[in-house]
Amino acid sequence: MTVRLDTIRECLEGVIPGHIATCDAEGMPNLAYLSQVQFIDNEHVALSYQFFNRTRQNILAGSPVRLLLTSHLTGAQYRLTLAYLRTETAGPLFEQMKAKLAGIASHEGMSEVFRLRGSDVYRLLGIEQVPGATLALPPPAVNYLTALRRATGRLAGCGSLARLLETALDCLGSEFGIGHVMFLMLDESRGCLYTLASRGYPQSGVGSEIPVGAGVIGICARERIPIRIGFMTSEYGYGRTIRRSVEADGQGDSLETAIPLPGLPEAGSQMAIPVTAFDRLLGVLYMENVADLHFGYDDEDALVAFAAQLGLAMHHHQQAEELDEEAPTTENPAVQVAGPPLRVRHFAATDSVFLDDDYLIKGVAGAILWTLLSDFVERRRTSFTNKGLRVDPRIRLPGVSDNLEARLVLLQRRLDERAAGIHLAKTGRGRFSLAVDRPLQLISG
Amino acid sequence: MLDSESAAFIQTGVSISLAACGPDRLPSMSRGLGCKVLDGGRQVSIFLRRSQSLELIENILNSSRVANVFSLPSSNRTLQLKGSDARIVPFAAEDLCIIERHVADFVLEVVPLGMSEAVVRAILACPPDDLVAVTYSPAAAFSQTPGPKAGEPLAAP
Repeated sequence: MTVRLDTIRECLEGVIPGHIATCDAEGMPNLAYLSQVQFIDNEHVALSYQFFNRTRQNILAGSPVRLLLTSHLTGAQYRLTLAYLRTETAGPLFEQMKAKLAGIASHEGMSEVFRLRGSDVYRLLGIEQVPGATLALPPPAVNYLTALRRATGRLAGCGSLARLLETALDCLGSEFGIGHVMFLMLDESRGCLYTLASRGYPQSGVGSEIPVGAGVIGICARERIPIRIGFMTSEYGYGRTIRRSVEADGQGDSLETAIPLPGLPEAGSQMAIPVTAFDRLLGVLYMENVADLHFGYDDEDALVAFAAQLGLAMHHHQQAEELDEEAPTTENPAVQVAGPPLRVRHFAATDSVFLDDDYLIKGVAGAILWTLLSDFVERRRTSFTNKGLRVDPRIRLPGVSDNLEARLVLLQRRLDERAAGIHLAKTGRGRFSLAVDRPLQLISG
Repeated sequence: MLDSESAAFIQTGVSISLAACGPDRLPSMSRGLGCKVLDGGRQVSIFLRRSQSLELIENILNSSRVANVFSLPSSNRTLQLKGSDARIVPFAAEDLCIIERHVADFVLEVVPLGMSEAVVRAILACPPDDLVAVTYSPAAAFSQTPGPKAGEPLAAP
């Protein structure tokens, strides 16, 4: 029986290092250990090229290649026959392997030694199982097909973007058993991602930002590929990476740094999955675990399939919010509020908003809040529409792909977390209302 | 000839792999179950399971050339030996204790790293009637411990 590579992918994770055998032009064999084998599809794998060693010389001289891989779960051994095709030194495959290697290197104490020079792509010519007794495969922690079926069913029942994101993160916990997860939305115009929802952290971190290209999440967004790391590595830990990236890019002023990122201080395993719809990146699902090698290929596949459903549903909700006509505004001069006034200070240069001297938000969401509160104070206006915000010159939305609905979700979450007495609530498709519990004192600058 | 330090190293709880190439340069390899140093380091014997090594044995019978790696999982220290006079030798029953000791050493080495002992014992299971030995004279030795010196030849064996 022919063995399909996608059924033995636990052998590729390197828990038991694989062996690679090559042959020089004179017929002398050579053996080396592999730090990782990357699954591409059932006919292709990639190996990391780190050193110009004998293996490398033999491959470039046309040697056929044999791998010996061993399952750490069953003890089964497989010999794979490969033919070298090409080396990639940039792009999605390279970045996936580079990130994975950084984790392995850190785990092996080889951070200064292991450096990915290239991803060598091979055609798989055959897999032979080595005779010998094997153990039964232990039952998986999760049945991914069941989890996927239930989770996508729950997404289908959501009536708004906010509800959709909450449900998606709830599903990752209850259906997939993932305890630490966050969703970050892409801000295309500013080249960063902002946290819209999270689960499993003491602080939600909603509103915190990561530049595209920084750390596991940023690289996942830049390359639009899943990034999965099985061991703790400071190279891809986002705290340090982000600081370095912000300093290098000189964008310390524009990036949201006042709101700390959520995250485990010492994550053994990290996985970031891009959420896309119709070739557009919408955001990134990020999950982590304290244990090493917690996420495998099957987790990655299941989450990529889930993210595809989530992306389409997000796209649908964002489109739907734009469909309705402008509704008549509600001005309610009778609204009376009492109590000590809430001081709302706005800095126009960054659209930063402070409530009673405590920072709340900046950027587009800050501009939206200032506009809503200004209209409320001047005209007692309490009802608004997405369409109205989109054409409002005070807000300066960056363009068509501005993800306005997501920014409203962000603003609503930040206000709810602050509990300062300002509330946004959806009243229909593309409509929402503002409620204020205390008198407002608006201060510019 | 292997120096005494290398000879001692390859007889600890290392992982062992042996390879040889066919006439079409296609290599084959098998996991070694233990090894014995003979004649004061002039020869090395590797124990294999015949049923797992049919192609390897065929290649050795044809070419006599072998590559042999030994790696200690806890330190990544790795040594590769090469020889050009490999031959297939019947397994001697008195060597079974060498395999048993090697498996015990290897279990002690990898279980603290998180490996399941049952899996390790399945991988290194050795039905005595399935065992065969490959004996060769190490003609070259290379350090393959990852790092700047990886691949450098050691002093001529």
